[in-house]
Amino acid sequence: MLLPRFDYLDPKNLEEALDLLAVHKEDAKVLAGGTDLLVRMKKGLLTPKVLISLKSLNELSYIKEEAGCIKIGARTPLADIIASGPVQDNARALSQACEKVGAITMQHYRGTIGGNILQDNRCHHYNQSDFHRSGHQACHKNGGKTCYARENADRCNSTCQSDGSTALMALGAKLVLLSKGQERTVDLDNFYTADGIMPHDMEPHELLKEIIIPINGARSAYKRLAYRSAIDYPIVCAGVLVRPSDSQKDRIDEARIVVGAMGRAPLFLAQASSSLKGKKLDDTDAFKKAADASMDSAATFAVHNVGSTLEYRCSMISPLVLQGLKEAASEK
Amino acid sequence: MEKIEITLNINGKPHEVTIYPNDTLLDVLRDKLDLTGSKESCGEGVCGSCTVHMDGKPVRACLTLAMEAQDAEIKTVEGLANGDELSNLQQSFIDHGAVQCGFCTPGMLMSADALLRENPKPDEKTIRKALAGNICRCTGYAKIVQAVAHAAQPQDNCCDCKSKE
Repeated sequence: MLLPRFDYLDPKNLEEALDLLAVHKEDAKVLAGGTDLLVRMKKGLLTPKVLISLKSLNELSYIKEEAGCIKIGARTPLADIIASGPVQDNARALSQACEKVGAITMQHYRGTIGGNILQDNRCHHYNQSDFHRSGHQACHKNGGKTCYARENADRCNSTCQSDGSTALMALGAKLVLLSKGQERTVDLDNFYTADGIMPHDMEPHELLKEIIIPINGARSAYKRLAYRSAIDYPIVCAGVLVRPSDSQKDRIDEARIVVGAMGRAPLFLAQASSSLKGKKLDDTDAFKKAADASMDSAATFAVHNVGSTLEYRCSMISPLVLQGLKEAASEK
Repeated sequence: MEKIEITLNINGKPHEVTIYPNDTLLDVLRDKLDLTGSKESCGEGVCGSCTVHMDGKPVRACLTLAMEAQDAEIKTVEGLANGDELSNLQQSFIDHGAVQCGFCTPGMLMSADALLRENPKPDEKTIRKALAGNICRCTGYAKIVQAVAHAAQPQDNCCDCKSKE
């Protein structure tokens, strides 16, 4: 399969990269590992005029503990995150999620955490070859006015299938975005637009610099269901976090339940999460109720567009959340 | 889009090639350098038949731009053998009948070679995990896993290993 034509730019430092992004804006795409971007380009879903490579920007590849947070550079390979002690100790859900992405030979050394978060939404009617898509009218995401995933839908229903984002949202992560002369920090919760076509609240001239995960004694876990254990996207996944109270170690002070691969963004389920506040860490009944509530809330967003049947995907939300909660609560 | 001259370090030798920016490493290996051991199958990173090493780590050549591979030490399946002498791993694949049509074999060998360099005595689970990114449609994987396990440590009770002696 041939790649479409483009010009390749290789900035030597961050400043140069931001300058190039400011000049080329939407004509450019940022190339990190390429395991997602190049596949989309081969399928003709993206035809950027310019690729700006992050190959020389080693300053974006790091994992460090600083000011009560773990900071991860956007170009850090997934293999480094899996192997990182601080991530395993303080953000186990992220470590588990990265391990599930693709396969060792494929994503772990080339694929980056930034690329995993910023991967575009998917839909099995859209992520197809040119030839396949030429067989019917263009869908919303392809510039048309039809949706094949949900009848009569007036907008795109593509699904966010990022493992990393689901885990990071459960961990309450923040993203640092750079553009020429500017830097902004955004909560991952607020990073999504609820639009399937442009799912991320990010300008074309912006570059993801780092991911910040707070260290606050919370325990987390990531669970996912996919057809195969490797080289596959989740058809449903759950990231959960429980933080024991400072005064009463066996009580939950804060819980976060996030369900992924169900909607246009990972779904933070506020009601189900808050139902666990004050509950004991071994209160399985409360976990079960929260898991069922998560299923009821998340299932309303689901669209049949990433494989398997909708009924099966929805019915698996509850077991995944429950497994995650039990695992997170019994950590350490 | 202009042609660019680059140097790639492949199997210990520098190769100067003229490429377009949209050439993948696999395109250059197969079409420009005649290193046709690495195969193109799916072309989108799913099957693993194009696996090569970059700085000792297995990567997909079909999803790596040649431009991105410039400073790396690249090793292809042609670089496994020492002249006419096959590596232990290659010989083990032959002895254990781990090759049928052979299309996935270069990728399997490269993934397995990277594993054995990192972990010389892997258990079956580790081998299966390391090869999870490589798809074979003939053998059902059992022989391949066996070949990898026995490449590093030949077994007394394995008739295929014995036949080697």
